[in-house]
Amino acid sequence: VSTRRLGRRSPAASAVLYVIIGGIVLVSLFPFFWMLVTSIKPDTAIFTRTPQFFPAHAIVSRYGDLLSGPIPRQFLNSLIVAGATTVLTGVIALMAGYALARYKVPMRRYLLVVILSMQMLPQTILVIPLFVLLRNAHLLNTFQGLVISHLALTVGMSTYVMRSFYLDIPEELEESAMVDGCGRMTAVRRIIFPLVWPGLAASSIYAFITSWNELMFSATYMQQPAKETLPVALQQYFSSY
Amino acid sequence: MTSSARELGGREHSGAPARRAGPPPHPPRRRRRRLSFDRHALPWLLLTPLAAVIIGVVGYPIVRTVWFSLHSGRYLKLGAWVGLDNFKALFSDEYFIAALIRTTVFAAVCVAATMLVSLGIALVLDAAPRAAKVLTVIVLLPWAMPRVASGIIWKWMFNDQYGVVNWALSSIGLKGFNGFAWFNNGFTSLVAITAAVVWHSVPFIAISMIAGLRSTRTEVLEAAKVDGASFTQSLIHVRLPMIRPLLFVLGIMSTIFAYQSFDHFLVMTSPPGGPSHSTEVLSLLTWLQAFAVLDAGQAAAMAIVTFVLLAIITAVYIRFNREEDQ
Repeated sequence: VSTRRLGRRSPAASAVLYVIIGGIVLVSLFPFFWMLVTSIKPDTAIFTRTPQFFPAHAIVSRYGDLLSGPIPRQFLNSLIVAGATTVLTGVIALMAGYALARYKVPMRRYLLVVILSMQMLPQTILVIPLFVLLRNAHLLNTFQGLVISHLALTVGMSTYVMRSFYLDIPEELEESAMVDGCGRMTAVRRIIFPLVWPGLAASSIYAFITSWNELMFSATYMQQPAKETLPVALQQYFSSY
Repeated sequence: MTSSARELGGREHSGAPARRAGPPPHPPRRRRRRLSFDRHALPWLLLTPLAAVIIGVVGYPIVRTVWFSLHSGRYLKLGAWVGLDNFKALFSDEYFIAALIRTTVFAAVCVAATMLVSLGIALVLDAAPRAAKVLTVIVLLPWAMPRVASGIIWKWMFNDQYGVVNWALSSIGLKGFNGFAWFNNGFTSLVAITAAVVWHSVPFIAISMIAGLRSTRTEVLEAAKVDGASFTQSLIHVRLPMIRPLLFVLGIMSTIFAYQSFDHFLVMTSPPGGPSHSTEVLSLLTWLQAFAVLDAGQAAAMAIVTFVLLAIITAVYIRFNREEDQ
């Protein structure tokens, strides 16, 4: 079908289409390319009025400098925070998503509205009271504190995603297992979990990316250089030069 | 007989054939107790962690912010009760009013640009099915770049002396852009920030639209073609109306995200919100008011205003979403 459709188009229309596609590819990829090229150009090739798109020679020493600086530490910090946020979010979403998909709990409608709108919440309405809470609990500059604050951003969406994956699995599956004499938890563990892992993967990726990229909470609650996550470190480094 | 007891009975009845086939796996009483646990206690147990997060990290903080907004909050400590003074002060503060208007205009421009560019990309990908798979991956890539990193690279590309944007504009004949300092005034700073934000938000919207557009390839579209409708006509009168609910939801979502933009502003403006307050948006202003000026009362009031505005937009979104579900 596709060949026939393309074949029917006039050559001029095809040409226009290819130019537009070229433009889309260029704009999408150029910032990545430019970031990479700039990072391996010698300084003299960076500060030029006419950009040098393909530098005559490349240097990789900046990457070596990175490794001896604070970046590995901050990379690890980001990994710890995003990893812990992902695991906790996954557990919470796995549990709550099941309850919301299978049980007619009272006020389920409202609970669904709440978790859907959590994603829309402005971060600024949480940032001040969470700062006070964490300060009072002596959790500023700790991974636990930041992870707790990140849960507010990840849990709603992840639970919603998990629930929709549970809904796609016919309820008869665990019912028949229960009829055969195993409890609901055993039925879920043996039969349902193996089927919903794509949902868990999707909501985990969402949680990881959200936490990994998060700046406002991280910049506010992690003020010691040794505890900074990558976005904070990057922002500070960039604004100080 | 309560409904749960009846269901319980029904469940045991359906269990009967299995029991007839062999000895029961457990004595009946234990089984009944376990079913009762599964039915009544388990859902609450499963919901407890979610409830703890919603109440502890979202609900309680919102209440605290409301409480803060009614007090003076110097040095991020709850001070004396001031009633609505914080709000009154806000709406007589020209910087806040300016930020409110600026955020709204910025969000509107971002959404319009994002939706149009995304629609264009979706149409191109829809028209070139052979290349669609590779193109989808390429188009999605900017979404994967952290916002802070994309802010940095775009600021570098808009650099006055060494930026590729000025080089490209002046080499196509716009000599005025030779050495043009984008970040010296508010308007051109916002143009550069808009470019960065739109670049980052297009992928998600475009990919969602492609799926929608594919679903419009039906007999209706063929019929329109047979009737001699041009590409533009069938787009405006057939395809777009068919995906109007999707377009609406995507529009609302990108409005909310554009309204909350923070990272790009913090990275791309120096000092944050500068030059001379000309790029302050609500999220940045609120954050600075709280953690640079250390006035939690005023900042909380700003957060409440943002919250109310977004709540109105979200309410529309939820309502629409629910109608779609039914």
